[in-house]
Amino acid sequence: MNIFMHEIKAYRKSTFVWTLSLIAIVVLFMSMFPAISRDIIEFQKLLEGFPEPVRKALGLEVENFGTILGFYSYMFVYITLCGAIQAMHIGTSIVSKEVRDKTADFLLTKPVSRTKILTAKLLAALTTIVMTNIVFFIGTTIMIAQVQTQSYSTKNFILISLTLFFLQVIFLTLGIIVSIIFPTIKSVLTVSLGTVFSFFIIGLLVSTTGDGGKRYLSPFKYFDQAYIIENASYETSFVLVGMGIVIISLGTSYIIYMKKDI
Amino acid sequence: MNIFMREMKAYRKSLFIWSVGILFLIGASMAKYAGLSTTGQSMNEILTAMPKSLQAIMGTGALDISKVSGYFGVLYIYLLLMATMHAAMLGATIIAKEERDKTAEFLFVKPVSRTSIICAKLSVAVVNIVMLNIVAGISSLYLVGTYSEGESVKADIILAMSAMLILQLLFLTIGSAIAAISKKPKLAVAISTGILLMTYILSIAIDLNKKLTLLKYLTPFKYFEAKIVMNGGGLERKFIILSLSIVIIFSLITFVFYRKKDLQV
Repeated sequence: MNIFMHEIKAYRKSTFVWTLSLIAIVVLFMSMFPAISRDIIEFQKLLEGFPEPVRKALGLEVENFGTILGFYSYMFVYITLCGAIQAMHIGTSIVSKEVRDKTADFLLTKPVSRTKILTAKLLAALTTIVMTNIVFFIGTTIMIAQVQTQSYSTKNFILISLTLFFLQVIFLTLGIIVSIIFPTIKSVLTVSLGTVFSFFIIGLLVSTTGDGGKRYLSPFKYFDQAYIIENASYETSFVLVGMGIVIISLGTSYIIYMKKDI
Repeated sequence: MNIFMREMKAYRKSLFIWSVGILFLIGASMAKYAGLSTTGQSMNEILTAMPKSLQAIMGTGALDISKVSGYFGVLYIYLLLMATMHAAMLGATIIAKEERDKTAEFLFVKPVSRTSIICAKLSVAVVNIVMLNIVAGISSLYLVGTYSEGESVKADIILAMSAMLILQLLFLTIGSAIAAISKKPKLAVAISTGILLMTYILSIAIDLNKKLTLLKYLTPFKYFEAKIVMNGGGLERKFIILSLSIVIIFSLITFVFYRKKDLQV
């Protein structure tokens, strides 16, 4: 419990800053929604002049941006990017900082088993992420209520917002396993930014339609917002893969950390 | 000279990883272009009719993505993001790491002035970003060239790469200045990448809303835009002057503040 409280305290400030910046992004983008939805309605009129097949190819996507949820899911890409960096950063630093700051011999000589230490740290990291998500969710709900023009599906909104949490958990566990496998990480931020950005760029290159199996390469593509809006559910196979990644990295982290030379 | 050589060695591996990353980004997106270019013809008519905000959402701007130059313009913003991130982190770590790794005591009792230490470190950083720029330049020239189908893009790419170098320098000095000022060495990298991400998101917001156009002076990502550079518009002189003065100011800040800094040991 002591370790848990200590870690929560240590990450309080950074969690606060991260949450605030996530909300700032939402406010910035959402405040532009009214103007954009007007633009799009005009554009739809213009679209009617084009031949049917072309309209079909593009029209669906355009209509999506005109609705608040469509615009929200466009903006959500940047939210998930920031959220993933936050989670990966916590994951990578929370275990490895003991070695880096030379406090490992202090902590590990206490009469607490390594399993307990790792569990406490993991729970602390999870708590900060849950807090971030709760505050983010409340902030976004308020902001969307301000700018919405027509009613939207609350269920879909919740489903989309929850994907932030799932992505963060995936990157959190990835961060933990990276920090446990590699002996000493000098610069946590470099490692976490590098990993998150490579997955993000892979995600950009893999489009959600057509590329099929390649989507498994980047967690950013596991939850396709267009699919959620259409079907009000997640794609089971991707949820399973996501859970698999979390479970495998946690399991290996525990096993390796038990025997690791610190 | 010793410091210079040591730092060059220390950053060899990371430079290699970054170069591979950039190479992969260019290679993978150009491979994607090969599939896209066959269907792009009719799409482009519609894209040009789109309202500006929608173009920004689609990520194309005023670029013709059925042509290789336009496609490279879309790719260019991601190249910029990667290269500037490398530069900002490099600038911040190379200054802050002595305090972070608790080697400051060792280094700063040597009979070398702080100015010459910073000089050596900054030159290493500059050499690193120039090398990354060259890697990006050569691989774009080669890979874009193979898909260009006679369209001459060489001059535009070289121009775009020199714009990238200016922005790299800019973020490098921002990073180093923050590291020199900041009291907590651990925070320096976080702050400089934070600034980088904020200016990037601001540049997207400016695309989405015309009312924000005046803010473009605040975000370097708007100084040399792909749609102007790739359409033969060249680099705007006022932005070259602006960014070079930012570079000079921030390098001066780095030197002045670091000389008087209370080092944490």
